[in-house]
Amino acid sequence: MNAKQVHKYIHRYLEATNCSIIEKSPAHFTVKLSPEADRELTNRPYYWSFVDRVGAEPETMTYLLVTDKEKYEAAQQQKEQQQPAEAKPDGQAAAADAALARSFGFINTSINAPRIPREDMYFGSRKLEQLFGAAKSKGSFVYLFQEPDKRRENPYVSTPYTAWLGVNMRVEFACDRKREEIHSFGVSLATGLCVDNFHNRLLNLRLTPRLPANVHVTKNGITMGKAQTIIEQTLERKLKTYDYKWAADASARLEEELERIHSYYEPLIEHALEENKPAVQEQYEQRKAEIRWQYEPRVTASAINCGIFHLEGIE
Amino acid sequence: MTSIYLQLSEGAFKMTFEHTPQTATGEQNPSLARRKLHAHADLQIDRSWFDELQQRLSKNGPWDDWTLYQLTMEAEEAKRVESFEELQCLKTLPSVVPMPHQISTASKVLHEMGGRAILADEVGLGKTIEAGLVLKEYMVRGLVKRALILVPASLVLQWVRELNQKFGISAVAQKKEHTWGYDVVVASIDTAKRDPHRDRVLGTDYDIIIIDEAHKLKNKKTTNYQFATQLRKKYCLLLTATPIQNDLDELYNLITLLKPGQLGGQSEFAANFVVDKRLPKNEDQLQEALSTVMIRNRRGDGGIHFTKRFVKNIPITLSPEEKELYDAVTGFVKERYDESGGDLTSMLSLVTLQREVCSSRDAVFLTLVNLFKKTAEDSPLRAKIWGLVDKIKNIKANTKAEKAMELVKEMNEKVIIFTEYRATQEHLLQFFRNHDMVAVPYRGGMNRGKKDWMMDLFRGRAQVLIATEAGGEGINLQFCHHMINFDLPWNPMRVEQRIGRVHRLGQTEDVRIYNLCTLGTIEEHIVNLLHEKINLFELVIGELDHILERFEGGVTLEQKLAKALLESGSDQDLKRQLQSLGNSLSQIRNEVKSTEAGRNPYSPVPDLLIRTDRLGESVEVNP
Repeated sequence: MNAKQVHKYIHRYLEATNCSIIEKSPAHFTVKLSPEADRELTNRPYYWSFVDRVGAEPETMTYLLVTDKEKYEAAQQQKEQQQPAEAKPDGQAAAADAALARSFGFINTSINAPRIPREDMYFGSRKLEQLFGAAKSKGSFVYLFQEPDKRRENPYVSTPYTAWLGVNMRVEFACDRKREEIHSFGVSLATGLCVDNFHNRLLNLRLTPRLPANVHVTKNGITMGKAQTIIEQTLERKLKTYDYKWAADASARLEEELERIHSYYEPLIEHALEENKPAVQEQYEQRKAEIRWQYEPRVTASAINCGIFHLEGIE
Repeated sequence: MTSIYLQLSEGAFKMTFEHTPQTATGEQNPSLARRKLHAHADLQIDRSWFDELQQRLSKNGPWDDWTLYQLTMEAEEAKRVESFEELQCLKTLPSVVPMPHQISTASKVLHEMGGRAILADEVGLGKTIEAGLVLKEYMVRGLVKRALILVPASLVLQWVRELNQKFGISAVAQKKEHTWGYDVVVASIDTAKRDPHRDRVLGTDYDIIIIDEAHKLKNKKTTNYQFATQLRKKYCLLLTATPIQNDLDELYNLITLLKPGQLGGQSEFAANFVVDKRLPKNEDQLQEALSTVMIRNRRGDGGIHFTKRFVKNIPITLSPEEKELYDAVTGFVKERYDESGGDLTSMLSLVTLQREVCSSRDAVFLTLVNLFKKTAEDSPLRAKIWGLVDKIKNIKANTKAEKAMELVKEMNEKVIIFTEYRATQEHLLQFFRNHDMVAVPYRGGMNRGKKDWMMDLFRGRAQVLIATEAGGEGINLQFCHHMINFDLPWNPMRVEQRIGRVHRLGQTEDVRIYNLCTLGTIEEHIVNLLHEKINLFELVIGELDHILERFEGGVTLEQKLAKALLESGSDQDLKRQLQSLGNSLSQIRNEVKSTEAGRNPYSPVPDLLIRTDRLGESVEVNP
């Protein structure tokens, strides 16, 4: 993700969670978070449990999210250079403020203004990582309907819809190294048809959580369990066609390593004093377990998110 | 700045309490389905998503937002680890630009060594960066979650800071017992091996363990070594600039930590590779065996290693009053020594007096006062000390400080002044302030925040930094290329540390070093010794270590100097003694140089003919 993509991503997140953007430029947002986003992003579990228990009006935090550090800082600098000219006549007022502050404590100085923490948002930064997590925690299970095309709207004909089980899966190929793939499957609950790249198909549609008018959903032909089996089978069939040289290599490495430590520990155990033997044996077992843990090839599939999608037509 | 930052992101520091990594196979999880996919690999499908979906269907919700659903997918696509090879972490590290050899080292560790390696680069080539890259890459790939970094206690904070700032890794310094629960912990091995920590550490399966300054583990009889063998880990990095210091067994022990059996059993190793403990045989095979576990990059031979260094000694003639004090103190010290009947150990502190006179009257004064307090009330010494104090009172000006001021004004650029004594530091601060020059102090006792602040002040608005401490972490002063040694430590390593603060990677200018040297005093001899005999100011970092190691043999140079000073009857005598010290030093220096056969004069193991250098690349470090 480059700076632009990050910027767009954050913008969409803020809008989706109803945050109020106070100020924005192509390089930054100043945003007052919505309660929903605040719970996810500010690491204030105690505050929120207090609010929940007392039922108080929550005070959410305001953040400065910088998506393009260089541009933002250049802009700030420019602003500062322009400002002194304007700010100068203010010097007396500032001095007066300072004097007041000295006698009354801090009153209307900037110190009293709400703190706006700054976060640099770049791919790999912790805050963005947290935002990814926030998106995921509220973007995992959906139940949606396709919005019918307005032009073809005919109040006397009901359009048939099919329910689909859609799931995005991450497949990990791991040994001491790792590679990942993302697969997206959709199974028609009417017919059991399984479609690959289902997510892309969804992206071309307009989806809504409410059932549109003049629409009827076709009765399901297969159970959810069956649909899930179909997905797993499709995935498995696909994965079986892959090249597993990496796994064979890893297994070979694993064997080699096991042999190596065997050659080290066997004489060691043999020659160890009787009372030390269990300790050496244990260490040997530990080393073996470590090496398996390190090299054993494995493929794991887990869902990123999923949902039920009601799409136009019968497929 | 730093503290606020850390506080804010505290919540982002992850803790994992229960972690059983061997469940990578995860039979316990009921929603995990296993199938044979290939002769060498099983497929495990996590079905928990399906159960949750069913549940929400039966309860009719709650349902998530479509935009967030898309965003989740986009984030996953961005984070996806596309290939086994490419370094993913580089995309996520805006605050580090690794050098090519660091990247190639990290890739080699990841792709060819299976994540277990000794990183043995020469000093200054960035082993920390390499280790950080490996760690980050594994974390980005989801292969490492729990990491333990064991470093000398003095480096704990530096590691934490580097990992957080440069690599965006939420590392935590181990302080309390509960800290062990965090995912990435930096601790000192001496703490970790002790109760109550020991059980926590040994009871955890770490995805990766990094041990800095790993040469400290070379002896397998030590508790540290035994502790290290008991650690449970998947990946492991050992960092050291000197994998072999004295004999080949050290290397063997290190490798056994990583990969037992890589060089055969102890006896096989001895039979196959060792002629004498310092001399290997079957070098090619040894080399081959080593190349799978060790990487050693070294500085290029031909390239410019660093910018140039110019050293200038500034001779200073003491004012008559100052000279008088110096002579009086010298006389006083000698007298005490003669009285003690040649007992050296108790005299060392007295020698300090003499060195302090060369620095500033404030420094001597403080020591004298302390001495006065310590002597018995009826001791005749008291009167003598008082006499010295009277002499101090006569001194109106500090010739050296004036000279330093003159130099600073001439340079008209940022300059760092090093002194050994707090009192001198205070005096100089005052002196510069009185002359309308902004100077900031820096000393070891300051806490981290204050140090950082002083550094920022120096970078921003002060022309002069006056430091009493050069060692320790985190003072990088590449933006300054003038330094004044207001007085010189007698321990050459400390001089080297001073220089190292300024003259290091990233210094773009030639470095100018000025040694203030009061004529006709012990200082003159010291400057001569360090400069002419050891040629200290022109040595490359790391070289000095070896010269001193051979020279000292248990008695430090500092002690030898003090002895010479006390025992010499006259100035002539002293000169002669120092001469002979100097000669043996320069002889050793030449030996060290010549055994290295000129090809790689910076090899840390001059007398081991093992060419570990071939294990890495030669790196041209251009500033």
